Amino acid sequence: MGIFSIFDIWVIEMENKASNIQIWQYITAILLIFLLGYHLLQRVPWLFNVSTFDQTLTSAFVYNQYKEAGWALLLLAWVALFHGLNGVRGMLFELHQGKTYNTIINVLFWLVFIVFAAIAALTIVKLPAY
Amino acid sequence: MSDDEKFRSLEMENRQGFWKASLNPWLIRAKNNPERVAFVLHRVTGFIIIAFLLAHILETDSPVWSQYAPINGLSGWAAWTYIMGIESAWWARLGEWIVAGAVLFHALNGFRLLLTEFFGLGIGKPVEPKPPYEAPTLNAPQRTWLYIEFVVALVLWAFSAFLIFG
Repeated sequence: MGIFSIFDIWVIEMENKASNIQIWQYITAILLIFLLGYHLLQRVPWLFNVSTFDQTLTSAFVYNQYKEAGWALLLLAWVALFHGLNGVRGMLFELHQGKTYNTIINVLFWLVFIVFAAIAALTIVKLPAY
Repeated sequence: MSDDEKFRSLEMENRQGFWKASLNPWLIRAKNNPERVAFVLHRVTGFIIIAFLLAHILETDSPVWSQYAPINGLSGWAAWTYIMGIESAWWARLGEWIVAGAVLFHALNGFRLLLTEFFGLGIGKPVEPKPPYEAPTLNAPQRTWLYIEFVVALVLWAFSAFLIFG
């Protein structure tokens, strides 16, 4: 009975871990529909009275977009990073499972996420004036 | 070939191991299986996008980090302009176009998956299984949505070529 209980808890725990990864994929995917939609529209020239894609990438143009809605771009970077890295993490867990392996993958996931999330935050905080 | 062997053969086409099944759409041998194509493409495009995203975060941070590590003596927004100059080369534009296609497919397929998994789009609500036990996921409506998604992604990808190369 005792062994079964431990096994049951282990199964429930594993199920929770798997579903947590998927739930976060759903939440971030829904957010990305809006955030990425907004970001892609920023590159459509006719919406901003310019005629080419390249003109939406000039320093002045990009600086203004950062000033207007830098918070949305930062949120997009964080959400997209989480969604992408979490997706890779899910696939790596499909490939193999094990205590040490899972820990390494989880630590790597958070490490890469924190480093790149911090770089994205620095872009907003330390952006030089144009 | 007996029916049993045919069934086994068909089953094995869908069990090719993680790498083959997940990452190489050209190795798919399963016939009449657009769901598998969408599944594999979702993963392949996901990998393209995450690789781009990491580079994109570093690239968009260039006005900041170039102040500490100038590129060819350029820092701040001058460094940004320099990087944009490199990215205007044809090979960089081709790369951008591939990323655009990956983003469009991944986003549309992800949106379809959200609708299917949350609201049963094209597969209906769960019901008691009744003979002849046909999988509802392989019914026409679900596939129709899948084909619509493929077409819309291709049309938008063509439009993105017009934007990027135009």
